[in-house]
This record gives sequence, structure tokens and C-alpha cells, in this order.
Amino acid sequence: MTGPRAVTDLTDRELGISAPAANRREHTARRSSISGRLTGRAWAVLAVLGVAWALWNAGIGRRALVNPGGWTLQRRFWAAAVHPELSSGFLATTWRDALTTMAYATLGTALSVMIGIVGGIAISETWWKRDGSGRALPMGTRGRRAGWYANRAAWGIPRGIHEAVWGLYLVNILGRDPLVGILAIAIPFGAITAKVYADLIDEHAPGAYTALRAAGSGRVAALSYGVLPQTLPDLVSYTFYRFECSIRSAVILGMIGAGGLGFRLSLSFQALAYREMWTTIYVLVLISAIADRWGSALRRSPTRRKVRTSMVLGMVLCFASIARLRLDLGRALSPRTRSHVADLVERSWPPRPPRDGWWGLVQRSIDTFQMSLLAIAFASTLAILTAFVAARGGVAPARRTTAALARLLLLVTRAIPPPVWALLVLFVLYPGPLPGAVALGIYNFGILGRLCAEVVENTDPTPARAIEALGAPSITVFAYATLPLSLGRFAAYSLYRWEVALRETVIVGVVGAAGLGRLLEQQRAAFDYSGMFATVLALLTLSLVVDAISGAARRSLR
Amino acid sequence: MTTVVSLRAVRVTLGVNVALDGIDLDIRSGERVALVGPSGAGKTTLLGVCNATIRPTSGTVRVLDLDLDLAQLNARDVRSVRRRIGTVHQQLHLIGPLRVIHNVNAGHLGTWTRGRALRSLMRPVQVAQATDALASLGMAGKIDERTDRLSGGEQQRVALARVLVQDPELILADEPVASLDPARAEEVMDLLCDVVAGRARTLVVSLHDFELARRRCDRLIGLRAGRVVFDEPAAEVTDAMGASLYRIAP
Repeated sequence: MTGPRAVTDLTDRELGISAPAANRREHTARRSSISGRLTGRAWAVLAVLGVAWALWNAGIGRRALVNPGGWTLQRRFWAAAVHPELSSGFLATTWRDALTTMAYATLGTALSVMIGIVGGIAISETWWKRDGSGRALPMGTRGRRAGWYANRAAWGIPRGIHEAVWGLYLVNILGRDPLVGILAIAIPFGAITAKVYADLIDEHAPGAYTALRAAGSGRVAALSYGVLPQTLPDLVSYTFYRFECSIRSAVILGMIGAGGLGFRLSLSFQALAYREMWTTIYVLVLISAIADRWGSALRRSPTRRKVRTSMVLGMVLCFASIARLRLDLGRALSPRTRSHVADLVERSWPPRPPRDGWWGLVQRSIDTFQMSLLAIAFASTLAILTAFVAARGGVAPARRTTAALARLLLLVTRAIPPPVWALLVLFVLYPGPLPGAVALGIYNFGILGRLCAEVVENTDPTPARAIEALGAPSITVFAYATLPLSLGRFAAYSLYRWEVALRETVIVGVVGAAGLGRLLEQQRAAFDYSGMFATVLALLTLSLVVDAISGAARRSLR
Repeated sequence: MTTVVSLRAVRVTLGVNVALDGIDLDIRSGERVALVGPSGAGKTTLLGVCNATIRPTSGTVRVLDLDLDLAQLNARDVRSVRRRIGTVHQQLHLIGPLRVIHNVNAGHLGTWTRGRALRSLMRPVQVAQATDALASLGMAGKIDERTDRLSGGEQQRVALARVLVQDPELILADEPVASLDPARAEEVMDLLCDVVAGRARTLVVSLHDFELARRRCDRLIGLRAGRVVFDEPAAEVTDAMGASLYRIAP
């Protein structure tokens, strides 16, 4: 039993393709009819056609897309990179903002882990089994089975909605309370953690848990003795990975009002203070790099001491964060909150389409779909090309330097939040779906590139060496061994990021890019709650559709 | 008969471990040689020295009339000798996601130009030759399947077909039957011996199964702790020699 060593392993957990989970799912995969019929090649053709369709609709080759006047502003922004604002006043502000962002990320992660543990137990097959005898589904009575499925489906909904949308709703309920930012992170992340934790439990249950249950112990006791201790290192490691993601989310939430580095970034942008923006960006890069390093050190050799230090430090960070944000649960639980919830529900019902009717909503859903498709096509093309450069393991000094530079590029592109990329892209591209797609593409390139580089690092080198031993030149070795051995993984991660990118279209929509996100922003500004509800329903439906397509395509890869 | 492999005082140290400790060896063209000995005796290292993937710490290696002094040879010379040596690995080292045709054609990669190799990935070339090789191994119908969808035995044949199309003068096989049941092990050894017999090629194979080695090969070389313990024609190797080879060290 090996724990997760790389971010790819943790992503595999989210995708449910860690070995035991994959075995369990094989039955379902075989039953599904679509995946049985479409081959990998058919999916590739579909993907190319889809991207071509999206490019056509975005107006490539049909109308002017580039705004030549914008290059000056763009140049000014990049020129500021070499002299960021370093006055002591601004540095002090940045320090305070960084603390705020970290506090949101910390508490968001902490709460999501709590949700994840409870939820993970609630949706694990182990919990719903009658006697813990190790039998797979169906679990005894029909009622239990229905309960399990209903539970799984219900936990899928929070995952389908982006943190920013949760934020928009929570602000209406809680007002300007720090709890908004924390909950906005914790609700969707908690649901993902729950799914991952459920798989961990089911993976470990056949051993000690079953034995304890057979000896007559109750479910809670058996879990806390037979499962929790074994899954703890994996859970801590996953929590750190989620923390890295939470930092990025906290910045995005900051931009829409939660404060911290994200808020500072948008203030500086509005004032066109590029040098200030770069200071903030460098701090973001630094924070992500530290979180990255720590997480990967923990994954590579999860010694007991490292795990314990991380847990203690996590606790300390939590208490410091509560103090920093002056968290007050009493306010959140007041009757006023309850009346706000009631008010929101009343004003949201029934869902009402925008002025151009339900068809307009469908039209915007298609726009959003295309935007996500373009974004991920752009991101994965660049990421795959970069992955081979960025992968560790080179010997020659020149090779190592280029690899380090490529990894830095990936770090910077994922440390700058997508709305900032969107604003930068809007300097030079006219508004429409294209700038949104490019912005999301750049950001996802940073995340996907890192995943793909890890795939390259972890690919079995022996088939390549066998071909080398035939006397083949290096480009041939690459084409016959290295590339085909990693391509399937690349495709799987690209599909996974596509699901995420679709949800992220909301945040570039907020700055006016296009699609459902923009509509949502307009409706929010007009306090049109029933309109917002309809848009959110459309988003949720769309994300379920994309999850289904991506899932079917991924199954064809195995 | 010409000498295919000639080792003189070859010593290989990997870190603090001595993998090979002064090996002197001549293998002539057309011989079927089995390397036998316990795990860690140095069999795999010896094969690696022969196909120029492991560089000896000291001693001289001459393979196919070329001095394999890796410090002095340039990459082109190493490649030119490597393409005349076929290696069958225990783990096969096939590329799972590629189709069978490409895994068989990988045998050509030492001689093909870059352009031809890349074009063949789009539209396979020399298909007839690959089909013949697969057919001679009873695998004619599988040429377009994905390699990782094949059974273990079928994959073994794909690896052999790769060596067939490569048509090397010297075949090195590292534990080719280690993970197979006795019947299948016989079969694979049959195939290997057929491949060699067809064109008077030389076979050097490392084997765990002492009996199998005696039945199938002309000559047995017993290795233990990096040294040659015996080097005799198969007919003259006794059970006692085998027993002493595998005895747990006192």
C-alpha cells in the first residue's frame, strides 16, 4: 500500500482512478453503453470538431478580434514586473492582506476537512453496508441502496457550483461577514474531500474494520479504531493539497469582496497601479511556492514527525486565523440570518429566465460550454508541450536550468487569478467568449502543466531504454516510448481540468467576458434573484453534462 | 567460427557492490549459451555489458568485432553496434498504449531514419514483414490490437516478433521465462531457439531453471557472486555442479 507521492496521485483520488477504486468501478464502466461504443480515436475527432466549432463561434477569421491600441497598456503592465512597488507603506499593507488571504484559506480548508470526514463517512459504501461483511453493492435492503445513491447525488451538487457563486449567495445571507469567504471555500471543497475520503475508507475497510465489525463492535467504534488511524496520513496529505487550492480560491473570493490579496489586486488594477500589482503577484507566487514545497515534501516521505508537525502547525494557523478574521459565530447564527435565508428563498422562487427567455439561457450555456472547451484546448496543448521541458530528471546543467525556468513559468501562470488574466487579455482582445477562454486557458495551463510534468517524471523509463538499446535516435525514442506512454494520462487530466474550467467560466464572466457568468453578474447587480436562480440551475445542469461527457471519454482511455 | 563476444578481465562495480569480478569469456557465432546462477550472481549485468548499456569499471569488451570502450566510442558507433544486438527483457518493456504493429516495428528503430520512424506512426510501413514475423509466432490476427490489451503470453510473442524483424546477429535474453508456467516456458524457449537456428545467430540467455538450460542450450556458464564458477558444454554439466551453484553461502 503506497500513499500519494505526487499531485497526480491526489488528482487520481478525486477522479476515483486510484487502483482499488478503479477496480470497484470497472463493473459500472462496462455497463455504460456510450463508453463501450466510442473509442479513444472517436473522442479525439469529436474534440477537434468541438474546438473548431467553438473557434468559429468565437469569430476567428470572421471579424476583428485584436484591439491594436491595447498593446501599450499591456506593455506597461509587463514592464512594471522589473520594479514592483516596494515602499514600506505598501509592503505593510501587502503583509496584512497576505495574512487575511491565508486566514481564509486556512479556515476554509479546516472546515472543508471537517465536512469531508463527516460526509465521507456518510457516502462511503462501508457505512451503508448492513454487517460490514465486505459485500459490495447491492447492500441488503433496497432502502439502504436508495439512501446511498441519494446521498451521493446530493453531495455532487455543492461540487458543481464554483466558490464564487457560493460567495455571491452567502453575502446575501450573512452580509459582509468573514464567514462568507470561509463557507464559500468550505462547501464545494468539503464535498470533494468527502468523495475522496469515502474512497479512502472503502479502500481500507476490508481489513481491520471488517474484523472489528465481525467481533460485534458498532460502526463508529469500528471506524475510529479500524479506519481513521490508517487513513490519517493520506488525509493530511490531501488536506495540504486542498490548502494549495484554497489559497487560489481565497484570492479569487478576495477579488469579489472578501478582502486580502485578491481585493488589493483589483483595487490596484482599477487605479492602473501596475507596480503595486506586481508586488502582490510576487507575494502570491511566493506563498504558492511555499505551500507547494511543503506539500510535496510531505507527500514524498510522509514520516510520522512531518505529519505531526504539519498537524500542529495547521492547528496554530487555525487559531491565528480565527483571531485575524475576528470570527464570531454568534452573529452568523442569529435570527436575522434565518430571516435572510427565508427572504432569499422567497425572492428566488420561481426561477425566471433572462429577458430573452429560456432559449437565451440555452444560448448562453452553449457560449459557456464553448468557452470552457477553447480554454482547455489551449491549456492542454501548451501544457503537454511544456511538460517535457519542465519535468525533473535531466542531468545536463542547461537542461536543468530550462526545466527550472519552465516550472517557474507554470507557477506564475497559476498564481495569478483568472480574473486578472481576463482583464489583461481584455486590453488586447475585444470582449466576447475568446478573451475569457484565453484567460482561463493561461491559468489552467499553469495547473495542467504541473500535472503533466509529474506524469512525465513518473512514467516508467524502461521501455524507452529498451528502444534506446536498439540504437534509435532520441527523437524516435520520444515518439515511440515516452509520448505514447504518457498521452493517456495527459488526456485524462485535461478532461478533469475541463470539468473545473467550466465552473471557472463564472469568474471570468464576472469581469465581463461572456456566457452565463456575465449574465449572473448582471442579474446580481440588478438584484434579480429569481433570474440568478435560473442561471445557477443552468450552470449546474451544464456542469453535470460536461462531467458526464468527460467521464465517458475518460473511461474510453482505460 | 568467429568470436561474437569476447570479455577480458571485466570488472563492474555498482557503488560498493561488485557485480562482476574479473570475467574472461569467449562466445562464438552460432552458440546457444545459458547463464545460470542464483539471484544477484551478475547475470543481468553481464548481458548489459554485452549490449553496451553498462560500462565496465575495468577490462576490455569486444562485441561483433568492435571494441566497446564506452569512454572512447562516440554515440554513432555505440548505436551502430546496438542495432546488431537484439535484447529480450524479462519485463518485455513493450509500449502498452501503442498497437502491436508499432511495437513490432520498434525493432527497426535502430536503422530507420527519424522521418521514416515518425511517418510509420501515422501509416505503418513494412507491414508485410511484421505480419510474417507475427504469423510465424501464431499471432497473425493481432497486428492492429492495442498491446496492453493482450494476454501475458501474447505480449511475450510481440517482444519476440520485435527481435525477429530487427534480425540481429546476437540475441541477448534476460530471464525470458521467469514469470511463465513450465509449459509456456518450454514453448518460449522453443521459439527463441527456432529464431536462432533459422539464421545461425548467437543466443545468450540468462535462466533460473537449471534443467531447462541443460535441455535447450549448448553451453552453460555458471555465475556466482560475479565470478565464473564453471563453463562447460551442456552435456558435461552435472547435477552436483548445479547444486553447488545454488547452495546458500556458509
